[in-house]
Amino acid sequence: MSNPELSDAGAAHAAPVQPTQRRFKRRSKRMKTLLPYMLVAPAVLYLMLITLYPGIFAITQSFYHVKFGPWQPAGFENYTRLMGDYQFWGALWNTLVIGSISLILQCVIALALAFYAYRDPWVQGWRIIFLIPMLFMPSAVAFIYKLAFLDGRVVADLLMRVGLIDGNIAYQSSTWLSRMILIIADVWQWTPFLFIIFVAGLQAQDEEVEEAARLDGASWYAIFWNISLPMMKPIIAVALILRAIDITTMFTNVFIITKGGPAFGTETISYFIYRTGFKFFNFGYASAASVIMLIITIIIAQFVVKRAFVSARA
Amino acid sequence: MASQRKRSRGESLALRYAILGAWALFCLVPVLWFLSIGLRPRTEIITPQPIYFPTFSLDAWHMIWEDWPMGKYLRNSVLAIIGSVIIDLVLAIPAAYSLSRFEYRGRDDIGFYILSTRMMAPAIVAVPIFFLFRNFGLLDTIWALMLIYAAINLSFVTWIIRSYMLDIPKELEDAAKTDGAGQMRILWEIIIPAILPGIITASVIAMIFAINEFLFTLLIASTPDAYTMSVALANFTGGSDGVIYNAIALVAFLAFLPVFLVVVLIQKHLSRGLTMGAVKG
Repeated sequence: MSNPELSDAGAAHAAPVQPTQRRFKRRSKRMKTLLPYMLVAPAVLYLMLITLYPGIFAITQSFYHVKFGPWQPAGFENYTRLMGDYQFWGALWNTLVIGSISLILQCVIALALAFYAYRDPWVQGWRIIFLIPMLFMPSAVAFIYKLAFLDGRVVADLLMRVGLIDGNIAYQSSTWLSRMILIIADVWQWTPFLFIIFVAGLQAQDEEVEEAARLDGASWYAIFWNISLPMMKPIIAVALILRAIDITTMFTNVFIITKGGPAFGTETISYFIYRTGFKFFNFGYASAASVIMLIITIIIAQFVVKRAFVSARA
Repeated sequence: MASQRKRSRGESLALRYAILGAWALFCLVPVLWFLSIGLRPRTEIITPQPIYFPTFSLDAWHMIWEDWPMGKYLRNSVLAIIGSVIIDLVLAIPAAYSLSRFEYRGRDDIGFYILSTRMMAPAIVAVPIFFLFRNFGLLDTIWALMLIYAAINLSFVTWIIRSYMLDIPKELEDAAKTDGAGQMRILWEIIIPAILPGIITASVIAMIFAINEFLFTLLIASTPDAYTMSVALANFTGGSDGVIYNAIALVAFLAFLPVFLVVVLIQKHLSRGLTMGAVKG
């Protein structure tokens, strides 16, 4: 009695096989269009958690007074106060000044070094030596320069022995000398970053073009200026952008060497946000500063970075 | 004419070695001097007159192992870094595969979004991330460090791997496809072995950035439970005694040596890795 029932049930199951197969096929086609999205989704979601979520959080928080207790609505007060805060503008200015001097120095030095090194038989050796500063932890590098310039007075002592100065150097009372320490530390550590990229760029270019120009009697200077440099342009752009991003976020050296002093003369925008947020616990205000930085970052990313990366790939 | 050219070449050769040698000295002298700081007693570091020929001492070496939980800092660093690199590879390899091997709407925008997260200043997201981790009870744990290092590095790990994937000839894949292999099997059996140098390069650079990371670690780690080497350094201050430079110097060299060895091994791929694949060295 149960036997025919079972076989019946089996038949009922067997009957709609064809439609399911078709449905499966359709589903597999949909799977195919969805697959690339599914592959990229985890990474994108993860990055959104770390960028989009903080962005929204910061925007929200920037409209509140956030100290220790509950959040108090503040309207645009954080922003209006920020616009009149000379320390905020000072931090933007310091970041710009320290960053651009540092970046220009690094670019010029790295180009010169790369130009002299790329056809040298010992280019590998030069590359390894020049790399060394880059591979130290930035916090360690900050201490090297703190000790050399401030605590240990080694630089002042050496300059005195050579006879360039008499007496001590008062870094702590001079904005420009303090900025100079930050610049030297950054140039020392990060010029190799540009050097390595520039050497690779120079090595990759077509030697025949250069040879032809040389046979035509062009000087090395003309060859470098008119042939090598234009060919390197997209590579230089990408390298400088990556370096510029890191320089504008300069924090470690400021935190360890100068603490933003003297008189906020070396306070970068990152240190400003850190100080208002995590030292004075004025989180709403720090968030407002973060939002303004975020807007600047997005504008630069859209107009400068996108174009540079697209042209480098082409 | 010929002799003139010869002489000018000789001159430029001297100039070349003068310039390269000068920069090499500028690179090495602070490093060697810092090494000498690590190998001298504390009393000879901060003195009225700098001491250039100190007495040799292993005080700092004993200090970092005996007075501080240096083993713990080292363990925190290593675990957080390895964990973050694994997270990055798990997320980045499929993402890079998608960005390099499929044609679909929005692909370039998604790729650029991933790239653009590299431009986010740590300070901008520091406050929200701090609250996020606090709400999840993750402050002061190496899990938080792992997650944040992975997030910082994910953009360029994806882009480096994508750049290497673009180099693989399409024919290799087509051959496998006619054999009936699925997309995931192609990724696993053909693409990943072919781009192994790219994966290693990306991992090494991610490792370096994770070792170097300072701001987030400073905010997330408030006790030695989650200190990494980078942040532990900043706390090597003996209160009224000031900064303990010889210990800092030795720890700096301890962290430097493995990184240096690995980087020398992947030297050839470094320029490509550092530009997120934009430059093919």
